Formats: sequence, C-alpha cells, structure tokens
Amino acid sequence: MNYGDEVLFEINDSIGILTLNHPPENYLALPEFIPVTIFREWTKNDTLKGLIIKGEGKSFCAGGNLEHIFSAGEKGLSLQSLMADGLELLRYIQSLEIPVIAAINRVCFGGGLEIALACHFRVASENALLAFPEVNRNLMPGMGGTFRLPATIGLFESARMILGGDMINAVEAKELGILDYVVPKDKAFEFSWNLMQKMTHDRPVKVIRYIMKALKNSIELSPEEAMKEETNLFCELARDESIRRKKEDGHTVDY
Amino acid sequence: MAIRWTIEEGIGRLMMDQPPSNTMTMQFFNEFRHWIDIVLYETGLKAIIIHGNGRHFSSGADLNELLFNLDRQIMVENYRSFTMLEQLGIPVISSIRGVCLGSAFELALFSNFRICADDAVLGLPEATFNLMPGIGGIQRTAALAGKSKALEIILRGLTFSASDALAMGLVDAVVPKRNALPVALNFARALPEKMMKGHRDIYLKKFLNPLNVSE
Repeated sequence: MNYGDEVLFEINDSIGILTLNHPPENYLALPEFIPVTIFREWTKNDTLKGLIIKGEGKSFCAGGNLEHIFSAGEKGLSLQSLMADGLELLRYIQSLEIPVIAAINRVCFGGGLEIALACHFRVASENALLAFPEVNRNLMPGMGGTFRLPATIGLFESARMILGGDMINAVEAKELGILDYVVPKDKAFEFSWNLMQKMTHDRPVKVIRYIMKALKNSIELSPEEAMKEETNLFCELARDESIRRKKEDGHTVDY
Repeated sequence: MAIRWTIEEGIGRLMMDQPPSNTMTMQFFNEFRHWIDIVLYETGLKAIIIHGNGRHFSSGADLNELLFNLDRQIMVENYRSFTMLEQLGIPVISSIRGVCLGSAFELALFSNFRICADDAVLGLPEATFNLMPGIGGIQRTAALAGKSKALEIILRGLTFSASDALAMGLVDAVVPKRNALPVALNFARALPEKMMKGHRDIYLKKFLNPLNVSE
C-alpha cells in the first residue's frame, strides 16, 4: 500500500510502518502528506496493533516544501483548506487507538516535528536535530505545533523554541520533554520496533485498544466521565472469556 | 477484618491486614467503602497513613474472586471510595513496602503522598492478564509520569523498583525499608492541619526533606 511514491505503508507482524519517502530530507509536498481518506482505509484494520512513522534514508523529515505549498495555493487551491487538511490528518493520527511511535533520525524540522508531536511516543537518535524554523521566514508552525508543543513542554519553552527558530539536539529535546527516548546514532527505527514489540506482541488487539481508549478519555473527558468509562471498559475486558488468562497452577492471582 | 483502623494523636492509620501479601479481597473493598464513610465524619483527624501489615503494602485485588463476582455497580462504588480519599481535606500518605501492585498501586496513587521503601516493587501488571487497570491507575499514572510513560507501563504491564518509581515521579521519596512507616508518621506529624490543594511540592520541601530522606 503506497500513496504515489511519496508515502509508503506496509504492515509487518501487525505493526503498520509508514515511511515518508522523499529522501534525502523527506520534504512534505503538502501538509496533508497523505489524504486522510486513504490513511483511514489503511488503518481500518482489526488486526493492526501499532504504527511507526519514519523517514526514508538517513533523516526523518525536514518539514513542508514551502515553495510547493505556496504555489499550490496560487493555483487556486486555498491555502487555508490545505492547512486544515494537514491538521485533520495529524488529528486523526493522534486519535488512533493503537500506539503510534515517531522514529526520528537526524533532521526533524517544522512539519516533520509537528508529525512527531502528533504521535504518542517520540524516539530519536542521538544525532537527531529538532527545530521550528518557520520564524526565520516570517512564518509560524501551521500543523498543530503551536498547541501540541505547549501541551508537551509548557508555554515558556515553546515560545523560546518557536520564536527563536533555533535547532536543538536530541539530548536537549529529551530534557525539555519533547522526546521519550534518545537512542544510538541512526537507530531510531530499530529501537522503536523493539519498544512496539514489547508493548503489543503478547497483547490481543482488544486489550491495546481499550487501554488506549481509557488513556484518551482521561485527557478528553471530565474526570467523572472518564472514571465511568474506565469501569465500563474494565468490565467488558474482564467479561471476555476468550482472552481470559489464568495462571496454569490454578493458584489465586492477585493484582 | 481486612482493615485495621487506629487513631493516635490525631494520626489515623489504615492497615491492610491480610498478611503476608494483604491481598485486596471483596471483603477489603467492602470494608474500605464502609471505612471512608466513617472517616468523612471523623473530627480531629490530622492525617491518614495507609500501609500494609508486615513486609508488603499489598499485592492488589484478588483477581479470581473479582472476575468471578464481577459487578459493575460495585466496581463503580469501589472507584468512588478511592477518589473520596481526596475529598477528606487532610493529607493522606501511603507508606509502601514490598509489593504494591495493580489496585494496591492505584490506591497509593489516590494518596496525596507516597513514601516508598527501597525494597518496594510497584507496577500495573494487569495487561499481562489481558486486563487493564480499573480504578484510576491509567489517569493517575498519566498525570504523574506523563502520557507516553503511562502508556508504556500499562501496555507492557511493567513492574518497577522504588528508585525507578521515584525517577518517574510516581513516588515522592525512597527510604530504607525499616524507615518507611516512621518517616510517614513523622511527616504526618509535621504537616499543617489543613491540606491545601496544589501545594504538594511545598509540603514535600518544607516537611519531608528535613526528615533527611533522599529526594
């Protein structure tokens, strides 16, 4: 499953792998780098347990190809709707009820960083560089960076990064809380794959989705509502005999 | 009785009393709901300490019993009784030794403070039984350790050491195991009468650090 030759998608051992395929720096032709309708079809798969987003070659993604995006705007496509489509795609990625990991090697700028911020985990190699360089061209992040970054690291550090437009390295980004893991040079995908295996390999899809749903509820619903839903989800899992696991010796199991 | 409740000099002690592992049976949850209703009307109480009898905090809910008697309404009430710990308006301190897993860890997460012995093993292993934490563990872990850490812990069903828990912000202090209860008691005595919301860090700095516990 591919979208032109810009984006590649494969499912390996129940894990989806989405590759931004415009090396060397994997610039995005459009904010909606893959039509959300197509991506919905790819991910509408009851056996899918996780998703990893990576860049082809050495880098993750250097962001949007501004010339291309602006010229698309001049050709009559409204820039506003192009941006809205990009936002909707990232919102969809964030809302997936399977874990989504961004595997970041080397360059991760602008729109690339916005894709990464929409993922649930960010794993970066120690030689990764992150930035919101838009301000250097008198622009600003347009695909959720201005609200996902503050939600991740707070207003003050976000302002410094977005207004400054400077690059930060992986270690700095980890300290700020943008990254979850920093791994050896160019090993972001390998580490992400192993992390995904540890989280999903022995779990039925239902358990993964219910846990994701409960976590989403804790962010989106009121504490009262989230609490009620959590009990419902727990009871549904507990009642599902088909996935029930007992200790073989028949001893009482606590937890 | 699954719970022993004593009050001394204004400090209430709730001891989970089904050693060795103080498993949270149906009886425990029933007694806990009853207990919280009584404590709500207790006057002169300055702080509450939750701990386990013996070497362990608690190994969590008795899963076989829970699954056999699964009742949504009782789950809701159990959940509510945990959240009511926060409505008491006085500091609630969990003193954690040995195992503190699943629902027991969730109970500790509803306390205002967690003082942890260096021998403790904590975690949310429910997913390894194709279950999920059911009494607030997901929300609380996400709030304290961050969404991605919480997701990893819960999906993998991880258990971890006291020092790892401290590094993730899931406990407030790690002390030698013999000191887990004395430090909690001294901390409770030192705390001011009224627990003001949103001042956790100040309380820790002002009243816990002087007890010479590593941060």
